[in-house]
Amino acid sequence: MPRDEVPDRFAPWPPGIEPEVPVPGYPNTWTHTPSQPLHRRPAGRTEATGPLALHRKLPCGDANLAQLAPGRIAIGQLMHLSGRILDEDGRPVRGAVVELWQANAAGRYFHPIDQRDAPLDPDFIGNGRVLTDEEGRYAFFTIKPGAYPVPVKETWWRPPHLHFSVIGPSSLSRLVTQMYFAGDPLNAYDRILNAVPDAAARDRLIARHLPPEEVGDRWLGFTHDIVLRGRHATPATP
Amino acid sequence: MRPNEPLPPTSQATIGPFFPRTFFRTGDNDLTRVSAEAQPTARGETILLRGRVVREGGVSCLNMILEAWQADADGHFNHPLDPDRHLADPDFLGWGRAWTDAEGCYEFRTILPGGFADATGPRAPHINLTVMGAGLMRRVLTTVFFPDFAPANHADPVLALVPEAQRPRLLACPDGEADGIRVFRFDILLRGGPEEETPFFEE
Ligand SMILES: [Fe+3]
Repeated sequence: MPRDEVPDRFAPWPPGIEPEVPVPGYPNTWTHTPSQPLHRRPAGRTEATGPLALHRKLPCGDANLAQLAPGRIAIGQLMHLSGRILDEDGRPVRGAVVELWQANAAGRYFHPIDQRDAPLDPDFIGNGRVLTDEEGRYAFFTIKPGAYPVPVKETWWRPPHLHFSVIGPSSLSRLVTQMYFAGDPLNAYDRILNAVPDAAARDRLIARHLPPEEVGDRWLGFTHDIVLRGRHATPATP
Repeated sequence: MRPNEPLPPTSQATIGPFFPRTFFRTGDNDLTRVSAEAQPTARGETILLRGRVVREGGVSCLNMILEAWQADADGHFNHPLDPDRHLADPDFLGWGRAWTDAEGCYEFRTILPGGFADATGPRAPHINLTVMGAGLMRRVLTTVFFPDFAPANHADPVLALVPEAQRPRLLACPDGEADGIRVFRFDILLRGGPEEETPFFEE
């Protein structure tokens, strides 16, 4: 990866984009979120650099969550999701590691910590890891997850969502985020989605539905771009 | 694609309690190997970095995800933004991922990093740690320094931004040896009073 392909400028988060913490009604955030002001430091080499060629450490290529093995199709609405990983200049982030995990159609995770009384699907594990291509593109074949309740005193239901973890070329471009679906009535009540103050920033967490004319009628189609922090000091000449 | 069209970054959110166990493989927390099958680097002193992640009241945090990033034994990064990248150790990854057990404990196997100088000044040997987990809507960032390098620590421009009384909390504590390898301990208190909370940095 040549020098002019990796961002070297890292401005602070623009206002309204970072979730406001701690989150009212979400008790864990009141015991985990640091209480002291964060120390501001200049972005030096250690922040601008990050792991490259991580695919050797983290095997990638696991893009089909909907089919565990031939003939073993997960229960739920099949969906295809694709998108691009970009930096703040809109340039594709090549070779980024994209990890996705989600609940099954009944809203239960294949995870020992999730002991909720909802069915597990023997044909759905619900996670995958891929590497972005030359255009920064990723794609997964999966099912639309179900909603699930958060086990706190003032409970709320988490709307259907996918979890993303993206490892880009800088330690400051590391991102963990979540993706939502347009029109779900639970979106309005989700404490996690609504912790993001800026309405436009919340909108950017919602996937765009692709009509059947574009993706066919065998599965739902969605597209979702993710923007990592970082810009380039030297503009690229087109 | 229109290069240099400014785009706002995507909001971060909690990694939650369900980051898949199936993502973890033996050796993910070993920074000394570029892959699970690769030989560990031959350069530098291998060390273990161990600690416990606790929240308010000293309660253990189970299932927190920690990621480490650091320079190699000579202070180089295998990355295009390091002007001396050609000198970087090709057998050292510098990145690892660990997770905490029921007691909140994590462990990384790595090498003692080297220092370097960049635009911010002379950087003392350090390991960057990020912690993600349920209850953390934003990941937290901290940096581990080592007592072996007192003069370099004194001159470090980032450590200097932390009030003097808090600086010892960013120093790993020597904690004996395991199989002939030096062990350093670095505990992380996510939330406490000003007298005890781990210093964290803005992203
Ligand atoms: Fe979730």
